[in-house]
Amino acid sequence: MISTLQPPRSLSHFRSNPTLLLRYTSLKPLSSLSSQPVTHSTITDQSQSPNPPSHSQILSTRHSLLSRHLTATQLAESFLTRLRLNEPHLRSFLHVSDSVLAQARELDEKIQRNEELGPLAGVLVAIKDNICTAEMPSTAGSRVLEGYTPPYDATAVRKIKKLGGIVVGKTNLDEFGMGSTTEASAYQVTANPWDISRVPGGSSGGSAAAVSARQCMVSLGSDTGGSVRQPASFCGVVGLKPTYGRVSRFGLMAYASSLDVIGCFGTSVADAGILLHAISGHDRLDATSSKREVPDFSAQFVSMNLLESKPLKGLRIGLIRETLDDGVDTGVISAVRTAALHLEELGCCVTEVSLPSFSLGLPAYYILASSESSSNLSRYDGVRYGNQVAADELNSQYMDSRAKGFGSEVKRRILTGTYALSAGYYDAYYKRAQQVRTVIQKSFKTALDEHDILISPAAPSAAYKIGEKKNDPLAMYAGDIMTVNVNLAGLPALVLPCGFVDGGPAGLPVGLQMIGAAFDEGKLLKVAHIFERTLQNCRFVPPLIADEVA
Amino acid sequence: MGSRALLLVKGVSSSPVPKNQLFCNFNCKSNFPRPNNNWVRTNCSTTQSSGPSLEPPDLPRLAQTARISLTPHEVEEFAPKIGLVIDWFGQLQDVDLQSVEPSIRADTEGDSFRADIPETFENREAMIAAVPNYEEPYIKVPKVLNKE
Repeated sequence: MISTLQPPRSLSHFRSNPTLLLRYTSLKPLSSLSSQPVTHSTITDQSQSPNPPSHSQILSTRHSLLSRHLTATQLAESFLTRLRLNEPHLRSFLHVSDSVLAQARELDEKIQRNEELGPLAGVLVAIKDNICTAEMPSTAGSRVLEGYTPPYDATAVRKIKKLGGIVVGKTNLDEFGMGSTTEASAYQVTANPWDISRVPGGSSGGSAAAVSARQCMVSLGSDTGGSVRQPASFCGVVGLKPTYGRVSRFGLMAYASSLDVIGCFGTSVADAGILLHAISGHDRLDATSSKREVPDFSAQFVSMNLLESKPLKGLRIGLIRETLDDGVDTGVISAVRTAALHLEELGCCVTEVSLPSFSLGLPAYYILASSESSSNLSRYDGVRYGNQVAADELNSQYMDSRAKGFGSEVKRRILTGTYALSAGYYDAYYKRAQQVRTVIQKSFKTALDEHDILISPAAPSAAYKIGEKKNDPLAMYAGDIMTVNVNLAGLPALVLPCGFVDGGPAGLPVGLQMIGAAFDEGKLLKVAHIFERTLQNCRFVPPLIADEVA
Repeated sequence: MGSRALLLVKGVSSSPVPKNQLFCNFNCKSNFPRPNNNWVRTNCSTTQSSGPSLEPPDLPRLAQTARISLTPHEVEEFAPKIGLVIDWFGQLQDVDLQSVEPSIRADTEGDSFRADIPETFENREAMIAAVPNYEEPYIKVPKVLNKE
């Protein structure tokens, strides 16, 4: 069993505390606004617990179910209650499953029969809507796929279901992942749970907001240039982008195939790591998926009781100099510098490291992404699936279906990519961008030969206002400077909340990005877990639900 | 930061400024970490190593190639935005990349192609159900005209 902080203690704890059980039995009906949804933090009575409430929702769920202190149905009901309560403010979901409770009841019957449970049994998972699900619509936030239900599950989704996870629904995103705010969804704008006048980040904004507001326990996103890490930073949750090739892309609607990865969101490092473990591994349906063995990431989650005073002694950390320059908000810089000090206190040796080619990554990234998207999105022509516009000639049918189906940003990126790939221009744009990718890969390799991990902010600012950058494509693109290089190099990176800046009713979270060597997610998870467990005076529960998650 | 930079670019976007100058405005005024001078030739003159001269985007033609009908309003709205982005791409022309091999993606030991043998997709009905216009056993499309 995984050794972690809380579960054993909290388990024995709520066995001996009848008042807590009472709380669940008095759970009010779903429709009641005053109902108090169950959360794992309400399970642990904080007044008697020296440590923060049980940090892994996945492990707490397992313990609650195995110890029969909660049924899967109770858990599912409580999350669905909160989901419905917050959804009018947040709009993080494009589709909510109607079979969650049925699946939970089925699980409860299994528990009653003492059947073996999968490691994700009863875990409520939300899936970004550009990841295919066989029984739910999958639109990628685009009108071109309105009402489309794929005939298969993405490999990552199939694995989650097989391990017992319950898919709660499909989350909102910038159309096909093209954006950094989730405002470019064809259906709705998602709000940030920390301040509903602000964006949740993007493109996986729905998945990040849903986890932040505890509408689900964990979620899947996709990260082409930062689409998991930047919204994790904006919403104050953990976002994990694995190494390119670690997780199968089968069933992920392709945007830029050389950069796309499926990533994980959780409210704790442990949850992100457990979810990553569940979806990782070779898949014959994705030729770029790696055959490398998937280590047991949970072995990295050392129990706090075993922590020495300098648990990360000797670890070499490189703070990327180029990410702390003038263009970055001072509050963000100071939060990241404070995080660096915290790592030093844990025994790390933190030094600044320069990646001279860093700023070249942004234009190179946008050349590659728009070029590849112009090719990948050519499949949406209204012939085999998706929305078709009637026309009396085939070419007009293509052109009108695509004109009606795609939003402005998607059209612009396709047109830009079409230009970059035009005959005679390949060498000037696509090839040069690929050469820059080589330069960036080498400079990361050098930096990671000298350091165990690299750190930087996850974004140049905290969450900004809805509408603030909507009509400024370059301003929006500029916000991706912290993350795109990691995709170009294919490296794993983890973002976790490390502090706050002023803004909104309760401050806005700031994310710290940790970048590791290829396939070294284990080290990232270990460092991030210890960082998270030792961070003082920070509680990343958004004001929207602060009363419920007491 | 980015928005500040863009305001500047916007101020000159419609004037016939040489594209490299435009890029310099964006890059220099944005307070972004700038490329080390080892990588960027400090003068902003065009230094294309090879190939034809790069024409600015001709939007109607691109739209035709990409099979997307654009309204006149969209052409008007998109042209400056796409122009800006492509000018901004132009900064890579000034980077010395001679003798650098291009990488098609991160090297992660993939490339494990399965045998080139057809396999039957089991959920064929669901796939066919998604086709907007189907007449057993064909997917129906309007007539294919040859313009020539």
